[in-house]
Amino acid sequence: MTADLIHKKARQETAFSTNRAYRTDGIDVAALKPAADDGVRLRLHGVDHTARPTWKLRETVTFYRDILGLPLIHTISARGWGQPGHPDFLHFFFDAGNGATIAFFYYIGTERPEKYLSEDHYFYAATHTAWGVENRQELERWKETLEARGIAVSPYTQHEGIESIYFLDPNGYPLEVTLRLRDVERIDGQDAELTLRAAIDLEDAARASGTRMTDIDAVWRRKAALVDAWLEDA
Amino acid sequence: MPRLYVVDVPEFRPLVETSRGRDGYRVSDTRKGYWLIETDGPMTFERKTLGMKPALWYGMFTGGLDGEVADWGRDTVTVIGTNRPL
Repeated sequence: MTADLIHKKARQETAFSTNRAYRTDGIDVAALKPAADDGVRLRLHGVDHTARPTWKLRETVTFYRDILGLPLIHTISARGWGQPGHPDFLHFFFDAGNGATIAFFYYIGTERPEKYLSEDHYFYAATHTAWGVENRQELERWKETLEARGIAVSPYTQHEGIESIYFLDPNGYPLEVTLRLRDVERIDGQDAELTLRAAIDLEDAARASGTRMTDIDAVWRRKAALVDAWLEDA
Repeated sequence: MPRLYVVDVPEFRPLVETSRGRDGYRVSDTRKGYWLIETDGPMTFERKTLGMKPALWYGMFTGGLDGEVADWGRDTVTVIGTNRPL
């Protein structure tokens, strides 16, 4: 579809100015049509941007542009989204390499609600941005350089397939710089299916009995049975 | 007795390599991307022998474990047989 046609099809009401009926949280996913049913394979080309709110404009710009050295490549400044009551805002983007940006919203005249305060908790840290680097020298350069610039950086942490360092931005948002140690192989995907099938089985059983899954050991036992079956299924 | 499936990827291979030739440990050939380690008695591993960092150590049974973790510390783990359902 050409850009012109897309624009003709676009409505004046945008996702930001309507009642947000497009939201899909809380829906019954079992009622949706699986991709396999219509045969349409939707494709993505990596991350364009991630975005979060900030109530620290100067500190955020200083940190990302001047301390980390990520180029500021675009800023939108607008009278809301045309939606009554929506605050005026700034939306600005820093280059994170390879076509990706990290973006922030600064909502003018608003105060950071308590529920958006950062927390020193793994639930909170689960929402984070992880940037990739190309080689070990670059990972080490990030750690040593950031520390020399005064930022507290975690020790190197080796996971399955990646090695990472972690630090926080002035908003308390967790950032990660990670080196991929190997390519993801076919077995990784196959194994992922079996691990999640084991866990979903147990979650279903727990829900049915009004309880919760209690430990990963039960998942591993269930997984052993699924691998047994998968190996027998020649 | 404990049975451990090990995904055939480099980070978990020390489990296979340190189990080979160990008394009471049997390591099957890899099949469809999984090694199988079985022991007659308790199955034990030492983190430093495996050369694993903690983040990997605490996820090393992800391939599937028919057994019961009796004790799991930062440097050693012991798995015993179990009758609990798989």
